[in-house]
Amino acid sequence: MIQIQPEAWQVMVSHAQATYPNECCGAMLGTIDGDTKTVKVGVVIENAFTGVQHERYELRPEDLLKADREARSRGMDLIGIFHSHPDCDAYFSETDLKNSCPWYSFVVLSIYKGQFHHANSFLPNAEQTEAPKEELKY
Amino acid sequence: MTKILIPTPLRQFVDKKDTVEVTGSTVGEALNALTAAHSELKKHLYNDEGKLRSFVNIYLNDEDIRYIKKEATPLSDGDTISIVPSIAGGR
Repeated sequence: MIQIQPEAWQVMVSHAQATYPNECCGAMLGTIDGDTKTVKVGVVIENAFTGVQHERYELRPEDLLKADREARSRGMDLIGIFHSHPDCDAYFSETDLKNSCPWYSFVVLSIYKGQFHHANSFLPNAEQTEAPKEELKY
Repeated sequence: MTKILIPTPLRQFVDKKDTVEVTGSTVGEALNALTAAHSELKKHLYNDEGKLRSFVNIYLNDEDIRYIKKEATPLSDGDTISIVPSIAGGR
C-alpha cells in the first residue's frame, strides 16, 4: 500500500494541473514500513521529452539521481515516480510499461480539462510484462 | 574502496544496506564484486546476455559512464557509483 501525505499530494496535483495539457512527472520521497510506503515529499521534475508532451514524458536520469540524493540527505527513500495523463484515465499504458523500471511505485494522475480527476498506483513486474495496481491512499 | 549507492527497492538483496563498499579498478569490476557478493541482485541489473538491462544507468560520481569509458571507466579511491534507472512513459 502506498499512502501520500497531504503536502506531497498537493505538490503532485498542482504540478499535474499546472502542466496541463502536457504530461508532468516527478519523484516521490518518503519512508517504508513493512508493506506500507508513505510519501512525504513530492519532487517536481521537468518533463524532458523532446517531442509533443501531451502524450509523453521522460525523466532525465541525472534528475532522478538528484532526487535520490535529496531523499538520502533527508533520511528518506526514493519510493516512486508520478506522472499525469491529460484528458484520459489513470491507467498504466503499454508505453508506460515498456519505459518503466520494475523497482518503483508508479502513480498516474488523471487530469480532465485541467482539473484532477482520479489517480492509481502501479507496480511493474521484473519482466516489465505487467503492472498490477497497488492500493493508493491520498 | 568504492561506494555503490543502492536504490531503495534493491536493498532487500544486499542485506538491507543503502550503500555497499567494494574494491575494483574499474566500474565493471566494482559492479562484478557487488553482484558476486549479492547474487540475487544480478538479474535486476543485468540481462541474460550479461549486459546491463536497458533501463539501468550507472553514474560515477556525477557522470554517466556511457560518456566516459562505460564499464571500463577507471575508479579512484573514494569514488561513488550510483545505479539510476531510465524512466519514461505516456498514454
